[in-house]
Amino acid sequence: MVFLEKERDKYTKYEKARIIGARALQIAAGAPVLIGTKEIDPIEIAMEEFKLGGIPITVKREK
Amino acid sequence: MELRATVEEEVARELTRMGVEGGIAELIKGEFIPAGLTAEFDELLEMQVGEAYAEDIIRMLGRGEEGEVKLGDIEVKVDKSELSGKIKEELKTKLRDVRMKLSEEKLDAILKKAEEKYEEAKVEPREAVGIVAAQSIGEPGTQMTLRTFHYAGVGAIYITLGLPRIIEIVDARKKPSTPAMKIKLAGEYALDRNKARELATEIEETYIRDIKSKIESSTEDMCVWVSLKEKELERKFIKREEIEEKIKEVGKDVLVETMEDGKLRIHVKRMSFHELLKLEKDLSDKLVKGIEGIKRAIVRRDADGEYMLYTEGSALKKVRRMEGVDFSRTTTNNISEIVDVFGIEAARNVIIKEMMDTLEEQGLDVDARHVTLIADAMTMDGEVKSIGRHGLAGGKVSALSRAAFEVTVDNLLGAAMYGETDELKGVTENVIVGQPIKLGTGAIELVAR
Repeated sequence: MVFLEKERDKYTKYEKARIIGARALQIAAGAPVLIGTKEIDPIEIAMEEFKLGGIPITVKREK
Repeated sequence: MELRATVEEEVARELTRMGVEGGIAELIKGEFIPAGLTAEFDELLEMQVGEAYAEDIIRMLGRGEEGEVKLGDIEVKVDKSELSGKIKEELKTKLRDVRMKLSEEKLDAILKKAEEKYEEAKVEPREAVGIVAAQSIGEPGTQMTLRTFHYAGVGAIYITLGLPRIIEIVDARKKPSTPAMKIKLAGEYALDRNKARELATEIEETYIRDIKSKIESSTEDMCVWVSLKEKELERKFIKREEIEEKIKEVGKDVLVETMEDGKLRIHVKRMSFHELLKLEKDLSDKLVKGIEGIKRAIVRRDADGEYMLYTEGSALKKVRRMEGVDFSRTTTNNISEIVDVFGIEAARNVIIKEMMDTLEEQGLDVDARHVTLIADAMTMDGEVKSIGRHGLAGGKVSALSRAAFEVTVDNLLGAAMYGETDELKGVTENVIVGQPIKLGTGAIELVAR
C-alpha cells in the first residue's frame, strides 16, 4: 500500500473503523475504560477514546 | 499609443495620490500585479479613457473600497492551496466575480472549506475502487439503448453507439463495427472548402462502377466498352488519363483506346469468352481513386470554423502522409489502429474519450475517473486487453474463484489434477474459506501500542 507523505500520520477511514471496532469489543468484554465518560454504549466510548487519542492500538502498515 | 499614454499618466497620478510609489510601468513589471493578470491589466489600459477605467484599474490593483480583497491575493492564495489544478482555476474565476464582496477573512474561510471538501472527496487507501467503477458504469448501462445504429449527428455517417459500442470498446475488438475517422486539415486545406473537397476525393474510395454510366462486353469485337459520367469525373477531380492508367493495371497486355465520343474501348489480345466476362467484372471493381475501405468522406466545418473530414471507414496509416492532413490532430474510433500508429498511451486516451462520449450521448453522467480506471486496467501491460465475463483477459484466476463462478466440479477437479495452489488473494477465495477479505476494514492488521 502506498501512502503519500502527508497521509502517513493520518488514519484512513477503514483504519479508524477497525481500531474503534476492536476497542469497542474490548470494552464490551469488560476492559477498563481509559477516560471518564457518561456514555454507556461501548462503541460510543471507544469513539470518544479515539478522539482523545487514548486507544492503545495502532495499525500495521507494510513498507 | 497616445491614448494609452494618457491613461497611464492618469493612473499614475491616481496612484501617487493614494501614496503608491513608482510609475505604472514599474508596477506592471514588479510584483504588484501577479503574473497571469497582466493581460487583463493591459486590456484595461487599452480601454477608452473615461471615468470608470481609472477606478477599475485602481480596483484591480486592490486599493479600492474597504474590505475588498486584492485580485493578486486571490491568485496567490488559491495557488498556494492544496487543491488540484483544474479546481484552482475554477475557484479563481468564481472568486474574481465576487471579489467586491470578499474580505480577506472570507477568502481564507472559503479556501479552507474547499480544501476540506477536496480532501474528503479523495479515495482512501484500500477502497474497492474497481467494484465502484464497475457498478458506476454497469448501472447506467442498464439504461442505455440496445439499438445498435444511430447517426452521430454529423452528416449521414452512421456510427455504433449505446451499449453495443461500450461492449465493443471493452471487448478490445480488432475492428469496430463502424470504423470512422475524424481528419483535421492543415494550412489552407482547413480554410478552403474546395481544397478540402479535393482532399476528400483523394480519400473516399471510387471504383469504375461508381463513375461509369455503362459498361458492357461485346462478343462481336471481343472487347469491353466503358462510358463514363463526365459530371462524376469532374466532381471527383479525376482525369481521363488517370483512369486509363488504372485500367491498364487490371491485367497483362490490357489496351485502352479512347473513342471520339469519349467511350473507352478495352481490349486484350486473344481473349476467350470467359476471360472477356472476367475482364468486365474486374474493370467495374477497379479502384481508380481513394483509399480502399473508406466508403465516404464528408467535409464539415468544426466549431472553430475549420474545414475537416469525417470518414466512414478507417485507415490511419494511409492517411498519415497525405498532403493537407494534420495528422497529429487526426483520430479514429478504431482503438487497435491507434495502438499501432500512436501507441498505448494514446489508446488509453481514446478508450476514455470514446466511452465518455458514448455515455454522454445517451445522457448518462458517469465520473471520468471510473472510465479512466477501466482504460488503465486495459492498457497497463502495453497492449490493449479485453474485459470479458471472466475479468481482464490473461489475468490468472484462482481455482476457487473459478469454481465459484461456473462448472464448479470441473474446475476443482482440474485444479486438483494439476496441483494448483491458491494464494487466497481475491475476495471470493477468502469468503469461501471464511476469512476477512483484503479490502477496506478487512485489510487492516492491528497491533497493541
